Amino acid sequence: MIYYLVIFAAGFAGSFHCIGMCGGFACALGRDPRGAAATAERHLLYNVGRLTTYCFLGALAGALGQVVSSAHSMAVPPLTGSLDAAQRILAIVAGLLMIAMALQFFGLFHGFHRAAIGFGGSTLAMSLRRLLAARSRAAPVAFGVFNGFLPCPLVYAFVAQAGSTAAPLPGFLVMLAFGLGTFPAMLMMGGVGRLLAPAWRQRGVWLAGACILLLGLVTLGRGVLPFAAHDVHAGHAEHASGGGEPG
Amino acid sequence: MTPPEDRSCSHCRLPIGLRAMQRTLDGEARAFCCYGCCIAFQVKIGRPEESNAAWLLIRLGVGAFLSMNVMLISLLLYVDDFSGADAAMLPWIHLLLWLFATPALVILGAPYVRETWAHAMEGRVTSSALVVIGVAAAYAYSIFASFEPGGQVYFDTATMVLMLFTVGNYLEAAGRARAVRDLEPLLAAENESATVLEGEQETRRPVRDIRAGMLIRVRPGERIPVDGVIVEGQSHTDEAVITGESRQVAKSAGHAVIAGSINLDGPLLIQSSGPGTATRWAQICRSVRDALSRRSPTQRLADRVVGISVPLVLILSGLTIVYWGQSLTFDRALLVGLAVLVVACPCAVGLAAPMATSLGIGRLARSGCLVRDPGALEALAGTRLIAFDKTGTLTSGRSRLAGIESEGASHDEALARAAGLERHSEHGLARAILDSAAARGLEPVMTRDVRSLPGCGIRGMVDGQPVAAGNSTLMKELGWPLGPALSQRARVLEASGHSVIYVGWADGVHAVLSLDDVALPEARSTIEALRGLGLHVALLTGDLAHAALRVGAVAGIEDIRPSLSPEAKRAALDRYRQDYEAVAMVGDGLNDGPALAIADVGIAVGSATDLARETAALVLPSGGLWMLPWVISVARMVRRTILTNLMWAFGYNLVALTLAVLGLLQPVLAAAIMASSSILLVVNSLRLSRLPDPVPAPVPGRPQSAEPGSVRSAAGVPLMAGPAIESG
Repeated sequence: MIYYLVIFAAGFAGSFHCIGMCGGFACALGRDPRGAAATAERHLLYNVGRLTTYCFLGALAGALGQVVSSAHSMAVPPLTGSLDAAQRILAIVAGLLMIAMALQFFGLFHGFHRAAIGFGGSTLAMSLRRLLAARSRAAPVAFGVFNGFLPCPLVYAFVAQAGSTAAPLPGFLVMLAFGLGTFPAMLMMGGVGRLLAPAWRQRGVWLAGACILLLGLVTLGRGVLPFAAHDVHAGHAEHASGGGEPG
Repeated sequence: MTPPEDRSCSHCRLPIGLRAMQRTLDGEARAFCCYGCCIAFQVKIGRPEESNAAWLLIRLGVGAFLSMNVMLISLLLYVDDFSGADAAMLPWIHLLLWLFATPALVILGAPYVRETWAHAMEGRVTSSALVVIGVAAAYAYSIFASFEPGGQVYFDTATMVLMLFTVGNYLEAAGRARAVRDLEPLLAAENESATVLEGEQETRRPVRDIRAGMLIRVRPGERIPVDGVIVEGQSHTDEAVITGESRQVAKSAGHAVIAGSINLDGPLLIQSSGPGTATRWAQICRSVRDALSRRSPTQRLADRVVGISVPLVLILSGLTIVYWGQSLTFDRALLVGLAVLVVACPCAVGLAAPMATSLGIGRLARSGCLVRDPGALEALAGTRLIAFDKTGTLTSGRSRLAGIESEGASHDEALARAAGLERHSEHGLARAILDSAAARGLEPVMTRDVRSLPGCGIRGMVDGQPVAAGNSTLMKELGWPLGPALSQRARVLEASGHSVIYVGWADGVHAVLSLDDVALPEARSTIEALRGLGLHVALLTGDLAHAALRVGAVAGIEDIRPSLSPEAKRAALDRYRQDYEAVAMVGDGLNDGPALAIADVGIAVGSATDLARETAALVLPSGGLWMLPWVISVARMVRRTILTNLMWAFGYNLVALTLAVLGLLQPVLAAAIMASSSILLVVNSLRLSRLPDPVPAPVPGRPQSAEPGSVRSAAGVPLMAGPAIESG
């Protein structure tokens, strides 16, 4: 449980990053002329759409991880039990990916991000613009769904994490936790808008980077170190002390 | 906007095959080659206030929302997360899946059903039918299975297959639209509007309403809509699309501008010099549109394959189900059959050729090279012999002064007197003499009472003395003697194919000017580059042997066939074809029409004729001979892309089909493979649009080549440098 709480926290911290891009979308979605309830509904729908995409990606990544390491087709609960070689490799790959993403948050490794936003990205962005103008009640759902697919290092990092769990259910839960973590900030964006100072946002981004870096290291550790389970708990302790620093 | 071309897709401009979709959008009839284009077109073109495009995306998004939820739950089902105590939940979960899946199928599947229905009405079975049948089977079975204890449901398969196909189509269409971006300016000519200035008022009018004399304002960054003359303003223009000239050209009041060129940096006011539909640009646009809607032989073959494969796939899938039904449970066998249906959808095969061809056409068009028949590109790539016409192709087609022989006067004096006469003449050779005099800095001698004597020459008076320039007959008539040395030289020059002009004044002939049509400076490097591409080069000309040999020697061509009548040219091409299979003929499009038409690929350089009556399949801009090696490389690249595309599409299909028949492929995975195969194909073809610009080949040993632009734009005229004359 604590594992998912960490991810929720990371998602929450990471959502300060989201405010930069997706927050803009949330703002653009704006207020509904039909009143506060309708506005809330709009933003809730949007976020549910986004969450669905995340969860789907998570479950898919988990299932993929399972296929990769399906020498033992039993789902291995995350962070406990013995890990076979394939799962170790998976953990190493996911861990490295997450670390690469985390470094990006500190302004390193920008090429990676640019590579991710290619041909698909611009088509997606164009589609998103179209949807913003739509007045239909279903539009926010569709908008959220597409939004979820926008190239975003934060999402990729957690999808990698979900993949390393090597089963659909935990993968789904990882992304659910992450997605829910981004809820408060994103919902807030719909209402309070741009009240948050840029300095605070920067701190949030760093915090998110730190969280992801930590999770990446833990995941990597699961693959590299022989006594994985113990290491994770040590990692949590580290996180508790390390998380306070940038904030 | 004009009504759409009935044979090419409104969105991606590819020819519409058997999979056409007809829609009426914004009150206009539109045709699309596929569903993806239909979506992408509406998303891209539809005005923001119109909910049509957004509505499509909403459907896609909501469809995705529903099918992702279905997939999520199903993933959990597959790994038995609902076993043991939770098993009691199963019927409810099935119900939930059904509730999610049904609207998703309605939302996403409707277009496919409509398309299948429309085609069925016409008695055709197309690939959309495969999707519809497959998805419907999975859905119907799942409904029955939900009522049975222990039954497996496949709602996720049904929704995900549809979802992947739709998204795949959409992304593919978006990629293709990007591919034809090169062609956009060429396709828009007549739909373009121009800002017409009437009095103080500016109005936007379609180009086809522009008449001669109208004043048109062109802002920086805009395309100049009509041919005309600048009345006001200063700017640079980019005329690459029309002339192949990639340099910027400085323009100011009084300069002529060409329709289709881009006004780069300053506002211009232009007076139109003709109707907007009569410009070369408009002709090019019509021609490109024509070419795009034609199908190359490869394309026809691919279409036939696609046409027969759909029923075959249906049969194969049925057989697969029957076969696996013997050893597996019915639902498993059904799934295997579904995978076969989905994976064998031959979308990529139909896309392989037109995608690459239109990209190639677009790439060439961007540099001013016009392809009139998509098949020509493929033929050009396979050509092993290129035959050239001489005049106007390897040579400038305009004579230049090759040498001066004088007696009792200096070269310059003779030339200055000749120029004084010829400035009153419109004869083709006159231009050469004037240019040559200007190049040497000579002032033409003031001449009065100039009279042109058709067929003989020209005469006049300078300071009370008669002066004349013309042929030997004229000199004889005037009774002017010709010195033995001069007369000997003149005979030799005439025998070697030069045109000779005698210049006389006072009481005798004092000089002989020899003119000829010499090879273009870029001819040699072009021929060398062509050889480097492994092509045999020949010269077929109607001119005398001497002239042909001289040009051949300069250009570096060994295989020379002089004195050929048009019929003999055709016969020569036929003979070549026996040895070289496919032959290309390069001409100026004026005198060699029949030869260009009979060659496998007719290439016209700087065709002056009306494009609509042009017989050549490929038209290079005037002075564009140097581009030929590049054009051939592009053609080869196009063919290579078509081949890799086809190999990829067929190979992919065959491997995936085998796996599917063997029951090793999940239907959802099959759909993902199918969707990605088309997208990969698009990406592979997109490499074509990134081909580099043509680089003018260096002209070794010639200082003129230091400035490539001048070589091209000059078409030989300012190249009449002094040394050539002295050596002659």
